[in-house]
Amino acid sequence: MSNIIKTLDVTDALPNLKKVCNLDEGRISGEIFYSQEIYEQELEKVFARCWLFVAHESQLVKTGDYITTTMGEDEVIVVRQKNGSIKVFLNACPHRGNKVCFSESGSTRGFICNYHGWSFDTAGNLVGQHESGIYEASEFDKSKWGLKEVAQVDSYKGLVFATFDPEAPSLKEYLGPMTWYLDALFDNQEGGTEFVGGCIRSTYECNWKIAAENFVGDILHAGWTHDSAARAMLGGAVAKVSDFPESYSVNWNGHGYEFALDTVGNVAVLGESKLNRYVHTIKPSVAERLGEFRSNMIASVSSATIFPNFSFLPGQNTVRVWQPRGPNKIELFTWVVVNKSAPEEIKEMWRKGAMMTFSPTGVFEMDDGENWEYCTKTAKGKVTAKQDLFVGLGMDTLLEETPLPGNVYEGQLNEANSRAFYQYWFDLLNAKSWTEVPNRNKGKAEAE
Amino acid sequence: MFTKTPDLPIASMEELFELSAFLHKEARLLDEERFEEWLEMLHEEIHYWMPGIENRRRENPLKEGFYDKDHMAYFDDRMRDLQRRVARFRQPSAWAENPATRNVHIISNVEAFIAPEADTYMVCSTFTSIRSRGLDEEYVIYGRRYDRIQRTEGGLKLLKRLILIPNATLSCKNINTFL
Repeated sequence: MSNIIKTLDVTDALPNLKKVCNLDEGRISGEIFYSQEIYEQELEKVFARCWLFVAHESQLVKTGDYITTTMGEDEVIVVRQKNGSIKVFLNACPHRGNKVCFSESGSTRGFICNYHGWSFDTAGNLVGQHESGIYEASEFDKSKWGLKEVAQVDSYKGLVFATFDPEAPSLKEYLGPMTWYLDALFDNQEGGTEFVGGCIRSTYECNWKIAAENFVGDILHAGWTHDSAARAMLGGAVAKVSDFPESYSVNWNGHGYEFALDTVGNVAVLGESKLNRYVHTIKPSVAERLGEFRSNMIASVSSATIFPNFSFLPGQNTVRVWQPRGPNKIELFTWVVVNKSAPEEIKEMWRKGAMMTFSPTGVFEMDDGENWEYCTKTAKGKVTAKQDLFVGLGMDTLLEETPLPGNVYEGQLNEANSRAFYQYWFDLLNAKSWTEVPNRNKGKAEAE
Repeated sequence: MFTKTPDLPIASMEELFELSAFLHKEARLLDEERFEEWLEMLHEEIHYWMPGIENRRRENPLKEGFYDKDHMAYFDDRMRDLQRRVARFRQPSAWAENPATRNVHIISNVEAFIAPEADTYMVCSTFTSIRSRGLDEEYVIYGRRYDRIQRTEGGLKLLKRLILIPNATLSCKNINTFL
């Protein structure tokens, strides 16, 4: 008897959804950041269907190692199996629904519910209960009542993703050519990456999309929003992005990566010359491994979001998930990623540097939070929520002739990725099933 | 709350008074945004550490129970880092600091002990940090502090601070103050 979760029946699209955005015209409305009705639709049509980041493999080294997290608002346990694979279960007892694991990470032989003593092994099988005799008298079939298992789990270069939906396309298909760009941070050295221990969680009163969109393709804000932090860390202004001779915005299925080719622009803001030197030192080997082009992206001025809510900054090496908690609240989970092969001193500098810049105490992040919260809160006004918001920069910048994979746009000061992000969101909210999601990709699915 | 305090000899009433006054002054300087004067109260070798709190089962503790020195932190700062944070506060372009955040730091449960290191006290205290921004934002953070305060030629200086909050999830967007 399978305890694997089945595809949810989704409700019909909201009748007035068309009014909330028109990406061809480069506009959205604040309503999408504040409406409870839209949020309810997102939970079932985005978070219950898409591939969501749940863990880094380095957090689950041995059999029985686990972490708990959420997929949308659903609580899940991510646990390493005896055969080395990773399974994801709802963190809810199939008897009355109580949480079966209350800690955020650890190592265990199983999970026991505090309520009636239902006990599960790490493969999710129900193996016993308090007063088990009375269940036997009721001809109870234990095999039917294991932990509910998330339909698909897969990983890419240490990043573990899961989807509730058995009908979702494979992770490979979902990520498409974005993997080519992910390698610039997650596979630039032999041995790949690992997470520094721990996870910092904080709470923002903002909509999850405003934060995810900031990372998908909004470097435009950096020079203005983060001026104070740059001056504090570097003694001068942020690099002027419009001066970069070559930069791109690339997207696919709502994911986006915007980047310059300046190699060290992002890492430089940590203000540790040894980190800049480390990046320059590994650059030739990255060029050998990934080619000259991506060796310029290791820690360059860049940011990325994998749709819907997994984001990172190469160079600052902050990795985060914007966990939705209602239309106007998120919990931000942040981690720090480092190359496994990096010297301990370098790993330690990144641990501290990411905290100093992008964390609840980070001098850069402090100015982001204020902006995101008020982009959300102003939409509490019914009239304000219905007004158009401009998202039209770089309308005609698609590069038709390029060897780069994905939908490639010229320049990173460009809202092409933001539009693609909202378009994919809009398409999912209108689609009853994956087959109804239109393919809007125009570029190459694979690198040449 | 988290760390078992080592058994140390208790400081005198006079010393306790002096150390309490030091902590109260520090809190007032922060409330009055006198950050440069606050930095003057710190030892040049300061280690200012606020580890992330992890929600772990008792049988699966980290090195220090709920936290670990190699894990992520809110602050894990030396003097240069603290100076950089102050430098951001002082920028006219620190948009999220204008209008100003209004701070109240409340310090209580002060206990003072004689630390094994020369001329050094171990001082335990609890704090409540209340911040308000805009018309109606209010953030309250509370916790425990374990300080090493050293008597130097320049007076008492804060040499080490360990800040522990009970929360595994911070219930606000940032910590734009010192604790």
